[in-house]
Amino acid sequence: MSNAYASPRGEPLLDVRDLKVHFPTPDGVVKAVDGLSFSVRRGETFGIVGESGSGKSVTCLTALGLINRKSAHIEGEVLFKGRDLLTLPQDELRKVRGKELAMIFQDPFACLHPMYRVGDQLVEAVQIHDDMSKKAARERVVEMLSAVGIPRPRERVRDYPHQYSGGMRQRAMIAMALLHNPDVLIADEPTTALDVTVQAQILELIERIKGEFQIGVILITHDLGVVADVAQTVMVMYAGRAMELGGRNEVFERPLHPYTWGLLESIPRVMSKGELLLPIEGSPPSLINVPAGCPFHPRCPHRFGPCDEERPAFKDRGGGHPEACHLTAEDKRKLWVEREAGRTKVAV
Amino acid sequence: MRGKTIAALLLALSLLLALGAAGCGGDDDDGDGAATEQSEGVDEGAEPGGTFRTATDAFEWTGNFDPTGEYLATFFGLYQNLLGRTLMGYNHVPDAAGNEPVPDLAEAEPEISEDGLTYTFTIREGVMWGPPLDRQVTSQDVEYAFRRIATPALVAQYGFFYLGLIKGLQEYSDAGGLTEDPEGNEAIEGIQTPDERTIVFELEQPAGDFVNRIAMPAAGPVPEEVAQCFLTAGEYGRFVMSTGPYMVEGSENLDITSCDTMEALDGFNPNQRLILVRNPNYDPETDTTEARENFFDRFEMTLNTNAQDIFDQVRAGRLELAYASEPAEVVRDYSTDPELEDRYHINSGDRTWYITMNLTQPPFDDIHVRKAANWIMDKEGLRRAWGGEPKGLIAHHIVPDTMLNGVLEDFQPYASEGDAGNLEEAQNEMRQSKYDTDQDGICDAPQCKGVLHVTRTTEPWATMAPIIEESMAEIGIELNTRQFEDSYTIIQTVKREVPIASNAGWGKDYSDASTFMVLFDSRTILAEGNVNYSLVGLTPEQAQELGATGTIEGITSVDADIDACNELLDDERLECWADLDEKLMNEVVPWVPYLQGNADFVISDAVSKYVFDQSSGDPAWSHLAVDQDLQQ
Amino acid sequence: MGRYVIRRLLWTVLVVLLVTLLTFVVFYVMPPGNPAIRFAGKQPTPELIAQVEKQFGLDRSLPEQYAHFLRRLFLGDGTECPLYLRPACAIEPVEEFVVLETPGCATGVSGCGWPGLGMSFDSRTAVRQELIERTPRTLSLIVGAAVIWLLLGVSIGVLSALKRRTIWDRLAMGFALFGISAPVFWLGLVALWIFTVKLPFAESMGTGYVEFGTDPVGWFTHLILPWTVLALLYAAFYARMTRGNLIDTMGEDYIRTARAKGLPERRVIFKHGLRASLTPIVTMFGLDVALLVGGAVITETVFNIQGLGNYAVQSAVSADLPAMTGVVVIVAFAVAFMNLVVDIVYAYLDPRVRYS
Repeated sequence: MSNAYASPRGEPLLDVRDLKVHFPTPDGVVKAVDGLSFSVRRGETFGIVGESGSGKSVTCLTALGLINRKSAHIEGEVLFKGRDLLTLPQDELRKVRGKELAMIFQDPFACLHPMYRVGDQLVEAVQIHDDMSKKAARERVVEMLSAVGIPRPRERVRDYPHQYSGGMRQRAMIAMALLHNPDVLIADEPTTALDVTVQAQILELIERIKGEFQIGVILITHDLGVVADVAQTVMVMYAGRAMELGGRNEVFERPLHPYTWGLLESIPRVMSKGELLLPIEGSPPSLINVPAGCPFHPRCPHRFGPCDEERPAFKDRGGGHPEACHLTAEDKRKLWVEREAGRTKVAV
Repeated sequence: MRGKTIAALLLALSLLLALGAAGCGGDDDDGDGAATEQSEGVDEGAEPGGTFRTATDAFEWTGNFDPTGEYLATFFGLYQNLLGRTLMGYNHVPDAAGNEPVPDLAEAEPEISEDGLTYTFTIREGVMWGPPLDRQVTSQDVEYAFRRIATPALVAQYGFFYLGLIKGLQEYSDAGGLTEDPEGNEAIEGIQTPDERTIVFELEQPAGDFVNRIAMPAAGPVPEEVAQCFLTAGEYGRFVMSTGPYMVEGSENLDITSCDTMEALDGFNPNQRLILVRNPNYDPETDTTEARENFFDRFEMTLNTNAQDIFDQVRAGRLELAYASEPAEVVRDYSTDPELEDRYHINSGDRTWYITMNLTQPPFDDIHVRKAANWIMDKEGLRRAWGGEPKGLIAHHIVPDTMLNGVLEDFQPYASEGDAGNLEEAQNEMRQSKYDTDQDGICDAPQCKGVLHVTRTTEPWATMAPIIEESMAEIGIELNTRQFEDSYTIIQTVKREVPIASNAGWGKDYSDASTFMVLFDSRTILAEGNVNYSLVGLTPEQAQELGATGTIEGITSVDADIDACNELLDDERLECWADLDEKLMNEVVPWVPYLQGNADFVISDAVSKYVFDQSSGDPAWSHLAVDQDLQQ
Repeated sequence: MGRYVIRRLLWTVLVVLLVTLLTFVVFYVMPPGNPAIRFAGKQPTPELIAQVEKQFGLDRSLPEQYAHFLRRLFLGDGTECPLYLRPACAIEPVEEFVVLETPGCATGVSGCGWPGLGMSFDSRTAVRQELIERTPRTLSLIVGAAVIWLLLGVSIGVLSALKRRTIWDRLAMGFALFGISAPVFWLGLVALWIFTVKLPFAESMGTGYVEFGTDPVGWFTHLILPWTVLALLYAAFYARMTRGNLIDTMGEDYIRTARAKGLPERRVIFKHGLRASLTPIVTMFGLDVALLVGGAVITETVFNIQGLGNYAVQSAVSADLPAMTGVVVIVAFAVAFMNLVVDIVYAYLDPRVRYS
């Protein structure tokens, strides 16, 4: 299934086609990712939004080959610079990982080995892909640490992770990811564990690097605020599937899925005093027993006929960008306007 | 999942059952037959030469090998067979002949004065000290030994055999002995050495067993030039000099120029080994082959904490003799396997194992209860706990038969069928007791319940405890058994008022029944370290002094009987002791004796001559020989 | 770091002293009855008992006895030593209230001296001499066994963790179950039976300890069986621990990072995974070794290695108080010392734990 949405920025670096990742367990099959397609281009920040369990992390881990192929049932294609990562043998994949395709994770403290010096861990990352002397590798590391904004990098290189602050650790992780000038950087909740002020710095750093090195960035988050800030493209995921995918402004101003509406309405907006916070009724479904038809239908106030039987296809129904909802584009526009109005009216 | 768990459980269960069944089968059946007779020994053409190797799982030195302080058989046997000659000694043979003192260092039996108070010994010519002393043994050497006995700092553990008997010895001891008189210049009235080969003893009162007392290692000669440096208990033990056919390895290297230059002999380490080699100065012409044959060139006794391994090594021929207590399986194997039977030697150990009852403590303060206890006790059961018939004869009275020349062999005042106990007679006795209030033959007064019973933690005492409890329960006495690591100290402390104890045994000091009768002498009763556990002859004054409570009036005393027998000699003496034994069993009943313990030893087939030494109750090392071709 | 070590060493000394006080109370104060009686003969007379008490120092009050014990420990045995055991006059003989004033120093075998641990009641020899002879034997036993169990246990644990839920894992954990359940004395006796009774290795692998200096090959061959028997139990524990720790560690985030970097799996396991999972094992190892110093009783008895464990039990059974307290002093010191070593090693391994 090809991706209907096309960006004017050029060839896709990473092209995911109908990805399915299922985990057989004694209690049933966990459908972590169930038919996902998207692509990321150079210079693009692609935001993946969703609650925990929506499949956003698994998608990227699968792309990197960090999901155990023996314990998961994987289908589909993940094309990276023309090659399907899912079919590459392990040793080939290892050459890609960390070099052309890099990933950073949520909790930078837990992500660095507590018993080795930060510098040594980064030097190791250099030497695994480049045949450099230790001295040269160390120079490169110092250079990189400086580039990500760590002060006095030559001294900090000898420190242990517990001697770094939260923000510095994440910078170091970013540095480690960028050592080999990867083409795509995947950032899985990079700011969730950090203070708000530090968050902003890290996001800014990622953007700067994206611009400087012209790489593609996938930003995984549950925080719509983050996505609103830096992403060019947004994909909303639910129960292992894409609900909506479009340009950031598109998705934020003209959202085309009841789930997205619910998400937007549950964000408190600083400037709007007295606005009601409307949580989405119910809770995310078990990935073993995904509801038939549209996975969101049990919680959707606008469900109707086909919703509990037929799985809505992911396509552009005339709204301007692809989404997975049986409602017509017309209906969706109307409902959104109503909901917006109703929300401000209730203000006291 | 669940199916697998059930299968696993079933498997485990069946394994357990199988193991249990395997373990239960084949209990110890007593070896009937050959292994219960007194052993005749082995004599298969002994040749001189070779090393005799033996191992023990625990050296039991009581004075660190210092003859003045040693009192156990292990030392006596080794010393008197191999290392040191005493004025009177033994021939180291089995039975009554082995218990007869014979002249050793002395030329002949002593001259005894008419009044029995003076003993004169003449030392043989040509008996030399081993290297590095290299000189003739003198009467002063013997006298020096007695000075040591009378030196409190040397803790002579058989000192009481001499102090108070030899004139002036007690006074010498009171004055501090050699500690105060290091040169040994102070005269002792009762010991005279008119010349180098003559020594005269003068006694306070006649003692029919004085010759036996002289025949003990503490009374053997000690060289002053070496021993003067060692005036604390146990020190001399690492420097023991030889007058016998063998010496401690390394003796010749001892530098005796001064106390400072002496180093412990390397052939002896109290925790590890004893190695003896031939004494070049020993002249067989000064000795007899009845007493010593000296076949092997070298003797090794080493420590092996794994007793099972000792027996395995003997079986494999890597050791000649196991100097350790046989586990039950070994007893069984050797007494039933025809190939091994002739390597297992049993002889009377001149010792009695018994249950002692405290005459002051209810319910045992009533003679009828004590008699009932003798009637009811399952002695055969107790013997089985020990390992069955090979372990000894059932004891029916105090003194082992071999020490009374069998005079009391048929004396069984409390006989029962198969020695398993006689309930009827026991009940008859109980009925006459004040503790059987309804006279039904069962003890029912409150004093019959919760009676403290002391025993050891080790085997076979642990196995015996329930048997004793069961027997006593049949006559209504409920025992509260408590096992102690240090059970002897408990029963030796009068204040503890232990009513009944089964941890005790007693072996002879030398072959005279007086060494057993001392256990019933009221004058030996002490507050601590008391061996008259039953408190026979305790007077109310003594009781008060010692803080003993309970029934302290009217306790029978046998002190007069003991004194009377002590003055007699030979057959008269023997008859006297036998009569006293009967009296004790009939009229005093302090004990329930149950086993006349055997001394049993396992040897390898490389032992070409084996003889039992009745005097020590150990192998007669001086007569043993080894066939070097059969050694591994 | 140096100051830290010094401070810990001082604490070690204090701990050892506290332990000796406790030992003193347990063995000298609490037992029922007078220990001197046991050493005063078959029919102890009051005079003999008094004499023995005097020689053992038991006629003094308990605080005096303890003070004497401490003085002896820090200043040496002094004149309590028999003449032939005194070291050459390096230390001034301390005036003693026990026994006689035997003048002079000797140039004989140095068994007495510093630290002064007194004279054994049983064998009347210097406890220190016994301990000097026995310690190398126990150490030979422990060190060899420790090397084996560490290598064996950790490798099996790693194998098991990596091949989780396969037949290898089950076999390995089955071995662990066996090793932990089989009683040491049973293993020892069976091993001896197989190798020295059924197979012809009695000479080289039999019981008993051979001094290294006399016969290095014999020293080794006679220790093979005891090493194995002792190591088996610990190897089993360590295998289980390593397996558990490694499984936990491999689930940590930094392992994911290591893989994300593109490291080969072998390096991820052995450099990143193992390093983090070994630290608790280090702690356990130090304490296990220390406790074996006086604790390898069964192995020492079954294989007739006359070491410290054996000595501890023998002295306890025969109520030989100075010998017992001597062993306790050594073991307490070993434990306290190993604690310190383990802490230092741990700090070296895990920078998060360092004192600053």
